[in-house]
Amino acid sequence: MTDALLPSTRINLERATVLVLDDNGASLDILSQVVSGFGVKQLHRAESVADAQSLIRTKTFDLVISDVQMPVTDGIEFIEWLRKEGGETNRYIPVILVTGHTRTSQVYKLRDAGANYVVAKPITPKVLLERIFWVAREERAFIECEAYIGPDRRFKHEGPPPGTDGRRKDDLPAEVGEAQTPNMTDDEIANMMRPAKVQV
Amino acid sequence: MNVRKFRPNNRLSTLIKQKGGVLAQDAIAAAERGVESLRESSLAALDQTLAEIDRRFGKDALGRQAETFDALYLLGSRIIDVGAFVSDSGVDKAAVSLCTLADDCAETGAWRWDAVDVHLNALRLLRSVGASLPADQREAMLEGLYQVSHFHRPEEA
Repeated sequence: MTDALLPSTRINLERATVLVLDDNGASLDILSQVVSGFGVKQLHRAESVADAQSLIRTKTFDLVISDVQMPVTDGIEFIEWLRKEGGETNRYIPVILVTGHTRTSQVYKLRDAGANYVVAKPITPKVLLERIFWVAREERAFIECEAYIGPDRRFKHEGPPPGTDGRRKDDLPAEVGEAQTPNMTDDEIANMMRPAKVQV
Repeated sequence: MNVRKFRPNNRLSTLIKQKGGVLAQDAIAAAERGVESLRESSLAALDQTLAEIDRRFGKDALGRQAETFDALYLLGSRIIDVGAFVSDSGVDKAAVSLCTLADDCAETGAWRWDAVDVHLNALRLLRSVGASLPADQREAMLEGLYQVSHFHRPEEA
């Protein structure tokens, strides 16, 4: 689990190269202002997936922030392309998708696109910075197979769905087994909860 | 199925921890100032979008039967894009409801013009006086729009 972003947390995005993609000029301006405000100096803007693909082919990025709803080719298709054909330097970079509304037909596509995070529009600087911090600090494994390329979608490790055995070798059953040691006494539990001074 | 599981190098992780930089609270404040500088142009874009929706999908639009569901959906999305500037009026939430309606029409393959007209009237009203309406009246209006746009989705009601 990653640490939360605190107001006093120091972040340095001066040397990060970021691509922002949105077909709506007003929205792209807002996104760009937010990212620039975070201290990003190398900011590249694209108003279409075709423009974004050209940039991906010629530059190395550290983060992509893309809109979902776009005419012709949408953000989901762009991320799928990026994960498959984005070149070795860009294929695995963190991706944050932003969307104001998700179509019924796109719910599963959005989940399977290969993005690290989906943020709801209208975006606010606080939420976007929290998500950037999160994707920078997360330790999720990357999955690459025929049907999916992207961060591991099962990262909470809550076990397999009830009533199933799970598909992973390390899946544990949901049922809790018999206790292996005696229960703790009330005093032992109270001692664990008692506030104590510590030397740092 | 052949599945490869690995941990690629995350350059962003290295960069964000480097010496220097700014406090998160200062970064957020700078970003908010930057966004605020776009208020006027964003509201102009919002009004242009509302006018375009009216022109193409309003009651008097002669060619609205020939329009696509996608076109209305994308125009609704554009309002949400700049919705932070009008969140006190309810326009942003009405636009979300309009997108739900356009998506629902696309799913069923049929326009629900009465519902579209209700949304367009509400968007106009909210844009002009939404911020000064009593909160309960504004919420009641938005709840009504939600019910209309989710009319064909009883499982979500």
